[in-house]
Amino acid sequence: MEGNARINIWVNEDRLSQLDKVGLSSLTKEVFAGMRVLEVTLTRNQVDRIMKLYPSAKYDTSTTNSVELLPRLAKDKLFDAVLETRSTGPEAVNRFLQSI
Amino acid sequence: MSYKGHGGSEIVESIARGNAENRMGGLTRVAISRQTAHEVISIAYGFFTPLTGFMGQGDLSSVLDSMELENGILWSIPIVYTVSENFLKSSGIREDDSILLTYMDAPLAVLHVNEIFAFDKKTMAEKTFGTSNPKHPGVRRTLSYGDTFIGGKIELVNEPIFNYPFSEFWFTPREHFDIFRKKGWKHIVAHQTRNVPHGGHEALMKQAWFAANEDLPVDSIHTGVLVNAIMGEKRIGDYIDEAILLGQQALNDGGYFRSDVHMVSFTLWDMRYAGPREAIFHSILRANLGCTHHMFGRDHAGVGNFYGPYDAQNMLSRYRERLSVKPVFLMENWYCPVSGEVTSASVCGHSDVAQKFSGTLIRSILNDGVKPTKKIMRPEVFDSVMLSAEKYGHGSPFVTEEYLRNRQSIFTLKKQEDDSDGR
Repeated sequence: MEGNARINIWVNEDRLSQLDKVGLSSLTKEVFAGMRVLEVTLTRNQVDRIMKLYPSAKYDTSTTNSVELLPRLAKDKLFDAVLETRSTGPEAVNRFLQSI
Repeated sequence: MSYKGHGGSEIVESIARGNAENRMGGLTRVAISRQTAHEVISIAYGFFTPLTGFMGQGDLSSVLDSMELENGILWSIPIVYTVSENFLKSSGIREDDSILLTYMDAPLAVLHVNEIFAFDKKTMAEKTFGTSNPKHPGVRRTLSYGDTFIGGKIELVNEPIFNYPFSEFWFTPREHFDIFRKKGWKHIVAHQTRNVPHGGHEALMKQAWFAANEDLPVDSIHTGVLVNAIMGEKRIGDYIDEAILLGQQALNDGGYFRSDVHMVSFTLWDMRYAGPREAIFHSILRANLGCTHHMFGRDHAGVGNFYGPYDAQNMLSRYRERLSVKPVFLMENWYCPVSGEVTSASVCGHSDVAQKFSGTLIRSILNDGVKPTKKIMRPEVFDSVMLSAEKYGHGSPFVTEEYLRNRQSIFTLKKQEDDSDGR
């Protein structure tokens, strides 16, 4: 399952414009009434580290394979890491983990 | 001035003003629960007109069997006060006594005990909710009541003082009537809510306004929307009360509703999730606020899969002649990506691509604190909700254990003078 886990980040108009500047806006997917989602993929090892840092988060292994209920500030920092690394993969997650 | 509510009854007001101290002297004091305190207040101010107190056995049986009070007026939900048998014995309370009901260590109301009786709670639950399944929250609530029922009239002896922001939205039924007269509203359509408004809710309210305006002229406005929020028991994950009220008001402040067609208020009531019967109850409640119309959407006051999506609307249709408000039936709204607008399932022909307003999805967006697009939620509403989260919700717009532990009271009660020195 390594590499398949993901974290969904909501993307509104402001965030879409920031992603556009670093060439990542096309990676978002429209979900509802103009609201888009950016999927950040991460390794199983990164999942474990995040779950230790945020015990209230949930890792849904049965259906979506996504990490849910991360605190808002963590999601904000992860989004910043995506912009800095221009990546939606484990590199962005590594930058995020270094920043906290 | 006339204040005619449900069934053409004059709005009840049972408040001892001026001589409250005399009313309380020497009475047995009985501490009551939050639910009972809220219902005492609602009875005393006339939200439950024509009820003047807690139901006796005759009214209770009649409501359950025939959906009406003994006097023949339509009524759907039991309004009862119960205690345990042990408490009844130890307190020595008897019929024809008057007792002082206290809440938050302060006197609240006098209950004139008219009748003490036993009633089968399982039957009561089954007839109210159409099920005795304890997974239904209303059934659970009913089964948790005491075994002894006490019926009798209520007299409020200590008026609640509402704390901000509730103070901005608290109006008694008679005050609602007075405000509507002042605004010149002839038709008033009620919107029942326990939610922060999203784009789908806003569209529902606007559709209801047009339906309620009927053939009234539009060059001068005489129709209004009353957003009447329910403030009662909170469960983890519900919106916090403050965010609901301030979020609804933000639609008005942001100009999404003209200030002369929209008003926000609240009623103290614990939702029973009784679906069809609760829909009837809501129509009664809003008739007692002076409303002429009431909007009912899909699965009104339902829970889980206990009721069909249009059971409530069907029940209202069956009792249409006995309702004191005209029901406005609406289907759900969704976002249509083809039309590029929020629209109703009643009229949109793109159901195959419709994007439905999902509570889970909006909750996820709010949890992340990301401002939604305007079609999902107005920025003013979002800002207000986030501000409420910071000020009242310990950082969350949703009820958490911390909120339940530390939330501010909706109202305070003045302590009696002889209580202030610790007696």
